[in-house]
Amino acid sequence: MLQPGKAVKVTIYLSDGATHHGVPLYSSILDFLFFRGVAGATVTKGIAGFGADHHMHTEQLVELSDRLPIKIEFIEAREKVEAILGKLEELAGSGLIEMQETTVAKPAQLSKPARPLTPAHLKIEGKAQIMRIFVSEEDRWKSKPLHEALVEAMRANDIAGVTVYRGILGYGAHRRMHKDKPLVSSHHGSIMLSAIDSAEKLRAFLPIVDQMVEEGLVVFSDVDIVKYAYRALDTDKQEPAPAAAKE
Amino acid sequence: MRKGSSVKEQFTARMLRVHFGEDDRWQGKPLHEAILAKCSELGIVEAIVLRGIEGYGSASRIRHASHWSYSKDAPIQMSIIATEEQIAKLTPYLDAMVEEGLVAASTVEVVRYSRTTEQS
Repeated sequence: MLQPGKAVKVTIYLSDGATHHGVPLYSSILDFLFFRGVAGATVTKGIAGFGADHHMHTEQLVELSDRLPIKIEFIEAREKVEAILGKLEELAGSGLIEMQETTVAKPAQLSKPARPLTPAHLKIEGKAQIMRIFVSEEDRWKSKPLHEALVEAMRANDIAGVTVYRGILGYGAHRRMHKDKPLVSSHHGSIMLSAIDSAEKLRAFLPIVDQMVEEGLVVFSDVDIVKYAYRALDTDKQEPAPAAAKE
Repeated sequence: MRKGSSVKEQFTARMLRVHFGEDDRWQGKPLHEAILAKCSELGIVEAIVLRGIEGYGSASRIRHASHWSYSKDAPIQMSIIATEEQIAKLTPYLDAMVEEGLVAASTVEVVRYSRTTEQS
């Protein structure tokens, strides 16, 4: 959050035709600033201009109209600017970056009040495990699809989050792939459930999986929880958001 | 549920995740089908092909599935659970088949449930 007082205003000049990984360069830079938590940034498009190569870029010359100048501006504390400047220089490529001292008279206010913080008892940090369950789409548990029953069972057991994937093709412990007809119809799909929580909670859930899964595979691997964002709602019924994890 | 009809085994294995594009081919056949057939041939226990809705990869292009689910270069992720020996046999094929993509491996703990023969 930007504080009143000394700050740095950074201006980056680009030509509009520039791209980065297939997307317009300004949008790459804007994403970078956004995810690095910069207080705010504005992109403006010039109507005419020229740069280091001394080619005039104007809307009137059709052949050059995709190379109009773009200006990105943001204001941040000096330490923050210095922390991201290296990557910014790399991203800007041939573009010009200018910095000037400025004074923040009044920082922008949030238009919405900040969300309540994650309830402490639901915070998951550091070492965790990912449990993947491979079953078949036709498998059933007490007349309902097994993967749905597993999701309900996980929710009832407070597993932090689960995602169900339907494979477009696959085979496994639960089924053989037909060699002559390898494309499996949607009713014979492979299903993968992926749940992330602490090792203890997932292990405690395994006896329930034992009961429910007759044919299938359960795979555990270690992950580090990087962020667990929990959407706190006003009502008592709260839905945990999926956790981001890296292996 | 036919209780007691299922056998449970626990062991350590490797999980490979292979990332490439849905349009990638091997000898005229979709690459994921070719890899899946190879996994089956090697007796690998579990393999699943997942289609992402958007992504980008080693080719640094944005890939996304269009409304026609069969006319795009959607990102594909294959998850393969296999023993160390099977992975060693599979790797040379992956090296040859995956021209542009990424293969990541991790060690996993596996619980396998299978029906007993008299039940099936």
